[in-house]
Amino acid sequence: MLSVEGLTVAADGVELVHDVSFTIAPGERVGLIGESGSGKSLTALSLMGLLPEGVTATGAARLHDRDLVGVPEKRLKDLRGSELAMVFQEPMTALNPLMRVGAQVAEVMTLHGVPRDRARARAAELLGRVRLPHPEQVARAYPHQLSGGQRQRVMLAIALANGPDLLICDEPTTALDVTVQKQMLDLIAEVAPALLFITHDLAVVASVCERVLVMYGGRVVESGPIREVFTRPRHRYTEGLLAASKLTPRGTRLPTIAGSVPAAGTFPGGCVFRNRCPHADTTCEQAPALTGEGHAHACWHPADRG
Amino acid sequence: MILYLLKRLGVFVASVAVAGVLVFAFMAVLPGDPAEVALGVNATPEAVAALRAEFGTDRPAAAQFADWFGGLVTGDFGTSYVTSAPIGPQIAERLNVTVALVLGGMVIALLIAVPAGTFAAVHHRNPLGAAISAFSQVGIAVPAFLAGILLVFVFAVKAQALPSGGYVPFADDPAEWLRSLLLPWLSLGLVQGAVLTRYVRSAVLDVMREDYLRTARAKGRGRMGALWRHGLRNASVPVVTVLGLQLATLLIGAVVVERVFVIPGLGDLLLNGVAGRDLLLVQGVVMVLVAAVLLINFLVDVAYAALDPRLRGAR
Amino acid sequence: MRGRLNASLVTGGVLVGIVVLAALVSFVWTPHDPTLVDAAGKLREPGDGYLLGADKFGRDTFSQLMVGARTTLYVGIVAVGIAAAIGVPLGVIAGMTPLGWLSELIMRVNDLVFAFPALLLAVMLGAVYGAGTLTAMIAIGVATVPAFARVARAATLQVMVTDYILAARAAGRRRAAVAFRHVLPNISSVLIVQASVSFAIAILAEAALSFLGFGTRPPTPSWGRMLQESQELLFSTPRLALWPGLAIALAVLGFNLLGDGLRDYLDPKLRRIRAER
Repeated sequence: MLSVEGLTVAADGVELVHDVSFTIAPGERVGLIGESGSGKSLTALSLMGLLPEGVTATGAARLHDRDLVGVPEKRLKDLRGSELAMVFQEPMTALNPLMRVGAQVAEVMTLHGVPRDRARARAAELLGRVRLPHPEQVARAYPHQLSGGQRQRVMLAIALANGPDLLICDEPTTALDVTVQKQMLDLIAEVAPALLFITHDLAVVASVCERVLVMYGGRVVESGPIREVFTRPRHRYTEGLLAASKLTPRGTRLPTIAGSVPAAGTFPGGCVFRNRCPHADTTCEQAPALTGEGHAHACWHPADRG
Repeated sequence: MILYLLKRLGVFVASVAVAGVLVFAFMAVLPGDPAEVALGVNATPEAVAALRAEFGTDRPAAAQFADWFGGLVTGDFGTSYVTSAPIGPQIAERLNVTVALVLGGMVIALLIAVPAGTFAAVHHRNPLGAAISAFSQVGIAVPAFLAGILLVFVFAVKAQALPSGGYVPFADDPAEWLRSLLLPWLSLGLVQGAVLTRYVRSAVLDVMREDYLRTARAKGRGRMGALWRHGLRNASVPVVTVLGLQLATLLIGAVVVERVFVIPGLGDLLLNGVAGRDLLLVQGVVMVLVAAVLLINFLVDVAYAALDPRLRGAR
Repeated sequence: MRGRLNASLVTGGVLVGIVVLAALVSFVWTPHDPTLVDAAGKLREPGDGYLLGADKFGRDTFSQLMVGARTTLYVGIVAVGIAAAIGVPLGVIAGMTPLGWLSELIMRVNDLVFAFPALLLAVMLGAVYGAGTLTAMIAIGVATVPAFARVARAATLQVMVTDYILAARAAGRRRAAVAFRHVLPNISSVLIVQASVSFAIAILAEAALSFLGFGTRPPTPSWGRMLQESQELLFSTPRLALWPGLAIALAVLGFNLLGDGLRDYLDPKLRRIRAER
């Protein structure tokens, strides 16, 4: 349904995302995981056509048979909010503070051709569907009268309003209280048609997604079914990431990743991880390709060969 | 919301009262007894005392103040010690002229600033946007009366298209009224427009970086559509503050511009009053101008509450 | 952290530098006596030792502009000095005790003073004590107090929640010590920017007052009065309005640009606090 081929995002001649390819099938829930600066958010924004000024995407991305990259804004904006929807990280600032919540939900429907009164009624329904208590009341509230978790539900209602084929969530629970996170994740997993879920949190991705892409330095370094990637990581970065988290496979403690993520544009040539990788040698000066069916990795010295 | 407005109203009324005390106290220290001044050096003490009693200046200051300030509420500004004419009607007549001058200037300022500032913000990365910013910077450096002199030079001296000064009341001849106010409006409006352009630009720039504009685009709005539907009202909140300050500046700027164009407004009345040592007249005009500035501040607070729901529950 | 030189800073610096230089040189040298009335040289055309010509009294325009720069700076320095000397302590006090009654009182009085613009104060002072440079400076200074107080308060509020202030307060330092050793140095860049912007406004106000006859008294040259005197001759000798007008605009532009440039140069972290106009 969604296919991304060789997506590259650059700003001022610096490549921030390099040659990313993946697909998402209808109903599939895919996680995109990486630290800040790995390019995961830019990947999502380029699919939405919402890259910041001065940042451009090249390559190909297709939703069904419609191109998402390199098409004029005019054609993209018809897709946004209808077939393709997104929930952002920061619910506190994502809603217009001067507009009632119901109107903001209804807006996305009227924009895509739903008559005004019909959209208004649907808005309350949607607010109920994302499990907001007293949806009629919430519809009349202003954003500042709602909590962060409630606002994120409103964002989800906006995203779901036109029955999109693909929902993109960019760290939707990071800004929320821990107690609210779980409910939100369950809700997303329940209502998402097909999902691209972006996070830095391994536990979150494990609870929501079936398949995962691991990004580092603007590249996909490993991809595959969650269970496989998390129990038998191949790329040394994934291995370190898991070691640093509580999801350490089989209880073993592996060394955490040395150093910190370089600034954009200062990643080493060849394998982008080699300056932090304990296994790096001269081979790693050549960029490894993402290889393997199902569970793929881009590493010259992958872990767990057996 | 009601509570907020009541509190603002209270602050406004209290401020006007305190301002009244200040203005009165300030003018009370003026050397020279109005009665002595009016009668000249050769007057008998009895005549001076009689006139003092007539003016009411022989009473304690508090009583005089209560009398004066109480009168203001009903529009009675007292009677001039110098010309023996009631002051209220003079102020009312001049106020009309000044208000027309200020509002016209404001409209021109807005007509310039809102499109120019928004354009400069949207195109802040290209030369045209930068040019607008630079142009507004230059405009800020030109005082309104200098702009007035320049406009007179271009339109009255060179082109001879408009009068260089004077004022025709609207009731006498609407077309001439318009012609007589056009240059004064422009001198106030161009300068304030330049100042305002900068604020509109920075307000729109701030709003353009807001997450909710990205949300609007994620819903399927275009860049300009999102800015129009969600940005402008949000940007107007900080601009309204500045607008209030500008209106106050314009009111005072009008005093000077009236002098340039020989327009019989409040400023002209004020300066004539000072020249003629007409204490009560000066006191009245100053009070009206100060009260007007305070009223503008109050209206800005009301506008806030109307624009921003977050304030309605507050305080 | 200091930034790089930027175009605003350089342009503003050069313009302000020219005004300062003209004022300084005028103490020791001007082409002619700027106050010398010379009936023979009435409305003399530019040239022949009179670079910009002479006015209706035969006074050399260029010399008047130079001494006028002195008047302008003098008024600006005193007015901004008054405003800062009163406004900054009030703002810092209000910012350090944001919830106290004193803070509330300061800000209320501030709002009230704000309703008395420089021009009104100057006219009132002028009516009582007779108009002159002194009343103009005091009026402009007092009217500028609220701008300094507000900006100082806003900056102090921000600085008060930083770690080093919290540490100093936790260590039991007295308030006055905190104010002088920690708050003032950290808000100084914001105040310098405000001073530059206020200076520009003071120049505008002085020009307007002199234009109305409530500022510098004759025969001391002042740009605003030069403009006023030129107005009746606008039809015959427009250059008399041109030069003082240009001088005012360039000086104001200079101080505004200097303020903008300094803001970018000095202190990026408090940049969100804008100077008040």
